[in-house]
Parts: sequence; structure tokens; C-alpha cells
Amino acid sequence: MAALWQYILGGVVDGAIFALVAAGFVLIYQVTGIINLAQGEFVMIGGMTAASLTAGGMPLIPAAAIAVVVSAAAGALAYLLAIRPARNATPLTLLFITLGVDVALRGLALFVWGTNPYSLAPFSSGNAIVLFGGALPPQALWVLGTDVLVFGALYVFLRRTTMGTAVRAAVANPPIASTFGIPLRTFAFASFVVAAAIGGLGGVVVTPIPGVEYDAGLTYGLAGFVAAVLGGLDSLPGALVGGFTLGIVEHVAAGLLSPGWDQGIAFFILLLVLVVRPQGLFGRAARRA
Amino acid sequence: MTRLSAAYGPVAAALVAIVAILVWFLPSYYTGLLTLIGIYALVTIGLNVFMGYAGQVSLGQAAFVGIGAYTSAVLSVKLHVTPWLGAIAGACAAALVAYALSFIVLRLRENLLALATLALGIVINVVFNEWEFIGGSSGFKGIPGFTLGSFTFDERAYAILAWVLVAIGIWFAGNLVQSTYGRTLVAVSAGELGAQAIGVNSETLRRQAFVLSAVYAGIAGAVYASSFTYIDPSSFGFLLSVNFVLMSVIGGLRSLWGAVIGATIVVALGQVLQTVIPVVLPGARGDFQSFFLGVILVVMLILLPRGLTSRFAASGS
Repeated sequence: MAALWQYILGGVVDGAIFALVAAGFVLIYQVTGIINLAQGEFVMIGGMTAASLTAGGMPLIPAAAIAVVVSAAAGALAYLLAIRPARNATPLTLLFITLGVDVALRGLALFVWGTNPYSLAPFSSGNAIVLFGGALPPQALWVLGTDVLVFGALYVFLRRTTMGTAVRAAVANPPIASTFGIPLRTFAFASFVVAAAIGGLGGVVVTPIPGVEYDAGLTYGLAGFVAAVLGGLDSLPGALVGGFTLGIVEHVAAGLLSPGWDQGIAFFILLLVLVVRPQGLFGRAARRA
Repeated sequence: MTRLSAAYGPVAAALVAIVAILVWFLPSYYTGLLTLIGIYALVTIGLNVFMGYAGQVSLGQAAFVGIGAYTSAVLSVKLHVTPWLGAIAGACAAALVAYALSFIVLRLRENLLALATLALGIVINVVFNEWEFIGGSSGFKGIPGFTLGSFTFDERAYAILAWVLVAIGIWFAGNLVQSTYGRTLVAVSAGELGAQAIGVNSETLRRQAFVLSAVYAGIAGAVYASSFTYIDPSSFGFLLSVNFVLMSVIGGLRSLWGAVIGATIVVALGQVLQTVIPVVLPGARGDFQSFFLGVILVVMLILLPRGLTSRFAASGS
């Protein structure tokens, strides 16, 4: 029983980062209809940038800020160089393009940082937090806090501001929103930048726990989109719930079976959701087509 | 293009003849590459029938290559079955798995089908990794080679075998896509509802194309296992699936020769980049090449979304 509780706590930590990656997926998918397979690379870029800068002696806060900016810039470039030139392509072509972006970003990271793993010191010192007999690393609070911050900011922006309402209008009905002067292309660009920045920030706060290397983005990206699909792909609350559900199920399953199975379980869940309930837990409509 | 496509059989036979001559002059390293190109081309031909002609998508094709490779390896190592039978069994196993999975994944279309096939590719890879009976993460060593009478296949023989299979594969797929069946497949990709309206059973058709692509992958996997004598789960991961998509897209999804061209270009490019990059950019590792493969994929999709062969077709007509 104690072991099970510990697995769940571990799952909460992973779930918090999965939820952030999933939020990026959902933002881009809602605004542009594109499934961005490169989303996990932004987490890697954020983590790698912050870790290598602090390793070079830079204090944490400027390093973290630069890491988020670098991730956002990577998102902006990915959109401008790869997505916008092909914006009239079929959904599948766009999906393949994001696959190309994913491979290219990982290759670039290999060039810049090599294959060595990087680590980042925890933001706050102190002992593990004991909760009903289970332990959480202090850094987990930073990750969970980032979730609160990011999802809270997205909620306020989308629900409480005029600009956010315009974004929701663009999501609900692009052609009509466009006739009202809503700049769809700018929103598409912004969705990539914001999603990349969120990923980068997630990378910064999570890196002290597992460390980071050039190919870490693949794992985050895959887990993030399982979480996003689980939540319904077009729902931000779904991304949050999907992320934590996946994190917990993955950890419990890996704990009870063997550590190697966690990714298998994650993707088994993805298959199951796609087949049984393709609209996800929170999605609005069946999306078979 | 139309002329070339009408001559699938003879041109494929000519390719085999060229390979059979080349292997006597090439250093053994290049003969190995030739084998690899043949194996990849075989997978991509099957993938193009499923993706290009039937208009579907698979991001998990490497899993079927793995199933073919593991089936053949297990049978030949543990039960001393000849790899010839192993290859047939590998193809059957891949087909069986694809058939069973088709009831799950083929209910989905486009983006979601892509995600589902990606997922099944990874789930199958985890099974390879965790199943101790088939070697777990350390893989399978000492896989016996193909034999013909008392002759055990060497590098040259594998290159020729791979390309004979490419020729048979292209001949078969070529006849298929030019038949009524192939045109019906294209009708499904052009518009599934429309195809159904004129009486096409699109569900069965998509399933058959999926199973066929798995058969191609399974045979390729068995040849891979015997020619390299060693396999492990990492040989059949997500990145290999991405490479197959790259080969498909570069050559042209709806072209069988495109599969051969795509496989050749991706393997050759990988080699060229591996030697050129360290010279041009000192300090850069050879595997930095994946950056260029990604960029090439993006640029191809923007400029020539229907692949290199679409250019030949346009200029030829």
C-alpha cells in the first residue's frame, strides 16, 4: 500500500510535466488544426539551455529566462520556416512536416550540446517532502506551481480578456472570425510561440529531477500527446487531467510490472482511448474523420 | 512515367542485373549498403501501397519489420528452421499482427491514424524490449544465414537476394496498382464516401493494403535479421519508422519507383553526410546528419509534396 502511494506521488510529478506538454499540443491543435509532433523538443531545448548556461556559471533566473526565450524562438522559427510555407497542405503533409521539424531540432541539439547528459541544481534546497508516508522531491512543487501558473494564465487570458475571446472565436469558426478582422495567421504564429515557451518553461522546471539530454524531447513529446489525446486534444482542462492521469497510470503500472513497461502502457492507453473514445475524456465531438 | 510504370517487371529485372554486376566490383562495405537499401526499399514499396495509393498513413512500420526479423530469428535459432521458411513465417506473423490490429487502428483516419500507428509501433517495440524469451533489450545474436544447397549466403548473395525481392515486390505491387483493385484503392484515397457510394468496400480494402504493407515489411525484416546476424529492439524503433516515412515522401508516396529512389537517397545521403559533416564542421559528430534529414523532409514537403517522381511525371507528359 505504501509502495502504491509512492508510485502515485511519482506519477503526479511526471503528470505535471506531461500536462504542460499537452497544453502546448492543445493550443496549437485548437488554433491551427495541426498535430505538432515536435512539441517535446521545446521541453528539451528549455532544459538543455538552462542546464548548459548554469553549468557555465550563469545564475538560475537569467538562465531560465533565456531558456524560455530560446524555446519560444525555436517555436517561432519552426512556424515561419516550416509550417507557414505549407499552410495550404493537407493535414497529413503538415503532420509529416512537424515530424521533420522534430528530427531536425533533435539533430541540432546533438550538434550544439553533444550526447552528454546535463543536470540542473534543484531550485530550492531542503529535504524531500513527506506526505502521508510518501516522499516528493522539493522540485516537484516547482513543477506543480508552474502548472498552476500556466493553466491559470491560459484560463484568464482565454476567458477574461478581449484578445482571448478573439482567439476562442477563431477556434470556433475560422472563416467567420476572419471576416470580423480576427488575424488568423497571427494567432497561428502566436500559438506556436506560446506553446514552445510553455514547453521550454516546463523543461526548465522539470530538468532538476531527471536531468536532460539531447534526445529527451522524444519521450516528453510522446507522453505529452498521449496526455493531450486522453484529454480530448481540443480541451485545456483535458490536457491537465490527461497529463496527471497518464503520469499516475504509467508510474503505477511500471511499479507493479517492471520499469520498462511504462511507455508501452502509455501507448496502450492511447490506442484504447483512440478506439473507445476518440474524442477523449473532455473533447467536444467525435473526430473520426 | 507511364511508360516506366507499364514496365515494372523488365525494369525491376534490369535493376537486379545491375546489382548482381555491381557486387563484384564494390568494396564489401558498399555491398552491405546495397543490401540495406534493398531491404528498406522493400518496406517502402509496401508502405507506398498503403500510404500513397490507399491514402492512409503509418508511423509504425518499423514494428512489422521487427516482427518479421524476430519471428525468423527465433525460428532459425531456437528451432533450427531454415531462414527461407523463417522469412515466410515472418511475413505471415507480420500479416497476422497487422490483420488483428487493423480492427483497432483502421477505425481511425488521417491524424488519429498516424498517432495510433505510432502508438502501436512503440507498444510492439516495448514488447521486444521486455520479452526475455526473444532476448529482451540485449537482442538476438548468431542468427543463421540463408543457404542454397551447400552454399551459405555471403554479402554479395544478400545484396542480390534483397534486390530480387525488391524486383518481385515492385512487379507484384505494380500489377496490383494498375489493376481494378489498385484503381479502387486510389478511389478510396480520393474520397472514401464517394468510393463507398459506388459500391467499394473501403474497410476491407484499407485492411488488405495494411496487411500487404506488413507482409513486405516482415519479409524485409527476416532478410535483415539473417544478413546482419544480429538484431535488437533499438533496430526497429520509432526513428526507423520515421525513416520509412522520409523514404516514402522523398521518392513520392504514390510511386513504386519512388520507394526505391527514396530508400537509395536516404541511405546514400546518410553516408555522404556522415563523411562530409565532420570535414566541413570540425567537431560536429556524424550523427548530426539527422538535422539535415529533418530539414530535407520539411523542404521536400513544402516544395514537392508528392515527391521527386512527381517531377519526372510532370516533365514527361
